[in-house]
Amino acid sequence: MVGSITPEQNATAAEACLAAINDRFGGSGIETSVLNHSNAKKYAFVRIVCPPQHWIAVSKWMKYDLDVNYCSMVTGTHFPDGSPERGWEVAYHFLRQPVRNQTPNTCTVHDVEGLSGMDIPMEFEVLIPLPHGDSPTVPSIQSIWVGADWNEKETWDLVGIKFEGHVNMHRVLNPNDSPEGFHPLQKQHKLRYHDYNEMYDDPQGFMRKPADEGRVK
Amino acid sequence: MGPQHPMTHGLWTLRVKVDGETVVDTEAELGYIHRGVEKICEARDFTQITPYCDRLCYVSAMTWANSYIYAAEDLLEADVPARAEYIRLISAEIQRLASHLMWLGAFGPDIGNLTLMTWCMRDREMFLDLLQELGGSRMHYNYPRIGGVKRDMPIGFADRVIAKTKLFEKRLDEYEMMLDESTIWLVRLQGVGYSTAESMVDAGVSGPNVRAAGVNYDVRWAHPYSVYDEIDWEPSVEKPTSVKGADCYDRYRVRMEEMRQSCRMVLDALNKIPGGKNTNYANGDEMIYTKAPTRAPEGATGFSNYECTRGASQFYIKGGGEGRGKNPYRVSIRSPMFLTIPYVAKTMIGYKIADIPAIMGSFDPCIGETDR
Repeated sequence: MVGSITPEQNATAAEACLAAINDRFGGSGIETSVLNHSNAKKYAFVRIVCPPQHWIAVSKWMKYDLDVNYCSMVTGTHFPDGSPERGWEVAYHFLRQPVRNQTPNTCTVHDVEGLSGMDIPMEFEVLIPLPHGDSPTVPSIQSIWVGADWNEKETWDLVGIKFEGHVNMHRVLNPNDSPEGFHPLQKQHKLRYHDYNEMYDDPQGFMRKPADEGRVK
Repeated sequence: MGPQHPMTHGLWTLRVKVDGETVVDTEAELGYIHRGVEKICEARDFTQITPYCDRLCYVSAMTWANSYIYAAEDLLEADVPARAEYIRLISAEIQRLASHLMWLGAFGPDIGNLTLMTWCMRDREMFLDLLQELGGSRMHYNYPRIGGVKRDMPIGFADRVIAKTKLFEKRLDEYEMMLDESTIWLVRLQGVGYSTAESMVDAGVSGPNVRAAGVNYDVRWAHPYSVYDEIDWEPSVEKPTSVKGADCYDRYRVRMEEMRQSCRMVLDALNKIPGGKNTNYANGDEMIYTKAPTRAPEGATGFSNYECTRGASQFYIKGGGEGRGKNPYRVSIRSPMFLTIPYVAKTMIGYKIADIPAIMGSFDPCIGETDR
């Protein structure tokens, strides 16, 4: 039986990260909080809301001082109707994983419930709100985590968020000859063909009534 | 090499620069089966998204549907009864068996062992039949629901699972007899495709590929979900023989061990399932399903971290979309293979062209989830 990270380990680790971040970056516009998921075991994770100009400093500190070694997701979202300072948002997800290189012919079998300190796995979420405009820009963390490289390419390709300092940016999911400025997940690209609305169980519209005009579902 | 190439296990192109027979540089090109799932999901209800998630990695559909469902449950704040968690675990582990068999069945022919293809497909049929009993179809089940599962295990399902799993454990012995002493297999896999644990983690690789490099990190205990803490299992981990890290042989061994562990998990879960393994509750019964809210307000987010067959998959869903929150505003899908494939492309540098299928196959690519 391998056991699993207990709620106490998880809560201690989250609080320790919160304290470390506030200690280093408190009061400079970076808001950190510990929130709990509402699924599975309802464990805690650390959410950081960071303005773009501080992002490189925070990310370097996270990697080298907080041991956050795994960059897993970069998500861009377009909020055309959002508040003035949040027209775009870039959400980064990181994990801290207790993984180290092994000397040959050995393996690490963690004593899960005995993990402590920086060895306890933790999830991090960094949100960077960007103002409205045609060219949302965020500094690139390509040189900090290798895993950020293709994630940033995908975010630019699909959403259009520019990553300043990213070397060799290219289309990764859309075709290589997609038009310049075509970023499909932006909200002006419509989801339905000519705003045609279909009902879930009535594709040919036999049960549609005049009152359904303009209704989405 | 690609997009149509038997080694690629999916549609993608690997551009290889060679000097004689040695690979000097590589570049991966993805996007051939980009279907725009993330954009489509913005126009669908939360229940309507589940079939799309099955089709992300079609070889390992149940784990992807479960991964999405956990994120939706985070967003909608739904509770799940214990029996449903056990059934999800059993279905996910059976799916892991089927997926690893598909991997082995494709990997064997890459190395030259065509017998493995037929053997693995034959054994995979056993597990596809089991999953068909649960979900209704062999590969795309649409089985988990937000708040539980769609229907309970049929009567007799548990007996069939036990019989097939016990038979399969003996079949695994046959596979190992064939492969572990085969000179060609060993020569082609050992000493090829080294990758260290820390370089993999930095690049975003996770799952059995990293466990082959010597650390037993597994999302199932690190960020626990479902009832893995109540059943008897160990993550399978290999000892790399070189300071350069894990080679293809280690990655192959990890997955064979994982198949044994999945068998063990399924048998143990059937013993411990609340309500008993031979009862069948009706659809929608509170033992297997709790009605969940269907709308998510703006500002709500859901995140799930799940151990898919090929690594750690995550879903990040923002609420507040169309239909006053019935649809998500943004669904972001993180596939473990999306970062593994560029990493593997760089791992191949320095080896021969003939090693490319071995290295690529040992990392178990699936392009459906990469391109979404």
